[in-house]
Amino acid sequence: MSFFNTYGERLIDAIQIHLFYVLSSVFIGFVIALILGIILSRIPRYANIIMPLLSIFQTIPGIVFIGVLFLYLGMIPATVIIALAVYAIFPVLKNTYTGLMDVKPEYIEAAKGCGMSPIQTLLEVELPLATPSIITGLRMSTIYTVSWSVLAAMIGLGGLGEFIYIGIASNNNALILLGAIPAALMAIVLSLLIDGLRRLIVPKGLRSLK
Amino acid sequence: MIRFENVRKKYGDTVILDNLSFNIEPGEFVVLIGPSGCGKTTTLKSINRLITPDQGKIFIDGQDISEVNPVKLRRKIGYVIQQIGLFPNMTIEQNIGIVPKRLKYSKSKIKEITRELMEMVDMSFEDYAHKYPSELSGGQQQRIGVLRALAASPPIVLMDEPFGALDPLTRSTLQDEIVKLHKKLKKTIVFVTHDMNEALDLADKIIFMEKGEIVQMATPDEMLAHPASALIRDFMRKSSSSADSSDLTAADFMKTKFFSVYKKRSIRECTDLMARQHIDSLLIKNDDNTYAGIVTIRAIKKHGKSSGSIGDITPHVNITSNISENAKESFDKLYATDDNYVVVLEDDNTIAGIITKTGMATAMADTLWGDMQ
Repeated sequence: MSFFNTYGERLIDAIQIHLFYVLSSVFIGFVIALILGIILSRIPRYANIIMPLLSIFQTIPGIVFIGVLFLYLGMIPATVIIALAVYAIFPVLKNTYTGLMDVKPEYIEAAKGCGMSPIQTLLEVELPLATPSIITGLRMSTIYTVSWSVLAAMIGLGGLGEFIYIGIASNNNALILLGAIPAALMAIVLSLLIDGLRRLIVPKGLRSLK
Repeated sequence: MIRFENVRKKYGDTVILDNLSFNIEPGEFVVLIGPSGCGKTTTLKSINRLITPDQGKIFIDGQDISEVNPVKLRRKIGYVIQQIGLFPNMTIEQNIGIVPKRLKYSKSKIKEITRELMEMVDMSFEDYAHKYPSELSGGQQQRIGVLRALAASPPIVLMDEPFGALDPLTRSTLQDEIVKLHKKLKKTIVFVTHDMNEALDLADKIIFMEKGEIVQMATPDEMLAHPASALIRDFMRKSSSSADSSDLTAADFMKTKFFSVYKKRSIRECTDLMARQHIDSLLIKNDDNTYAGIVTIRAIKKHGKSSGSIGDITPHVNITSNISENAKESFDKLYATDDNYVVVLEDDNTIAGIITKTGMATAMADTLWGDMQ
């Protein structure tokens, strides 16, 4: 029990910080990705060049990216959040883009024929039809970000990664687990929440199609 | 009124519309028909500006549509497509209300319109309004597709092969309904199809197109009587033989009341039977019930003897049809032979029935003027 007495408070702090990193970076990444995905879906010809370029970017290891940002921005939370947000973008972007591109042309033609403006078509037909795909992207981003947030500790910015790093450095398995288990639980809980969200916002008429 | 003036459209080097000029009068049901690639759909889509012509002008009620905002233009023109395109994320009520909502009708007004329209096609508002398209059958979905086009009571409705993907029975029901709706609502309807039967059934005027040009623009009667080209004649023939009558088989027209005897029956018994039933021939069966042929009264006279069995007379082998054979082929056989009927056989060569010339006449009358019974 003394273990928890020693680390209990720090654990709660760490979870809060970790969660803050995850939520803020996923939120920022999601908004950017959604907008970018919509823009790219309007210009599929360019998207075919841009998407692969972005996916190359995705392969840069997170450690490298955080390290480089650290050099420019210093040890502030923004460094972590920006880095994580950048990584959170891609899954959402990819799913938004494919989700929008997969909307059957007949719906778009019908919308046009009904006198819907391009914006109305996007908001009332295309985006609702793409929501299942977009939410899948959001779920992926969130789960990835929970694990990437561990890297924050690398530049001394806390989160659950702190326990893991200290644990590894001091060869203390209990400490490693103290960081790893809450992180895993966080990923599970967040993905369950997103599943709940999916039920809430995926249009009812689409559910029977799945 | 819709007026096309020298409308041209090219994709690359392919001419899609070649100097097209014609008028459609208000309230007319006009069907555009022709082989694929003839430009009928392009013509249709240029009316609501889904396609913009390269040259020429299109006027609706005297106004050049290229000067009208396309979004506003389309709200005054109903549009029905073959793939139906009901929005799966919206209920039936929301789908029907799409255009009225854009035109800022009040919610209660939209509901009222939806209810009225649904009643016109015998779909109850209570049962269906809150369902999603995926819960409806194809035919029901396309009914809603048509209603969606009518919801804001546009003076013009465009239909791009709306019934092309439906099964024949549903198609003919919807065709009837659209004729009824047209009579009731007096809209100008421009309808694209490649099915000549559909065109003949629905149109006030048929525009037959080929290679981006109008080959003939005429009423169905006129086109039937004086098709302007071999292609049109061909189209009419193909569709008249390919349509509903194509599913009918010999079994649908045969009479199952006929007189057959085994070979061992005596000739006297047979002549008595013929006299009693006022018939001049009998179907002869082998002992295993398979068909052997027919014997006519003339053959019996020629045989000369009234003793012995009917099997002594070589039966005349009449023309036969299989029970599952296309009715038209059976008719052709009957038409070609001197005999008064075709014998229809089961797959095991037993006798199923006969098709007589009277039966054929009734069947033809049915297809021409509807069910006579």
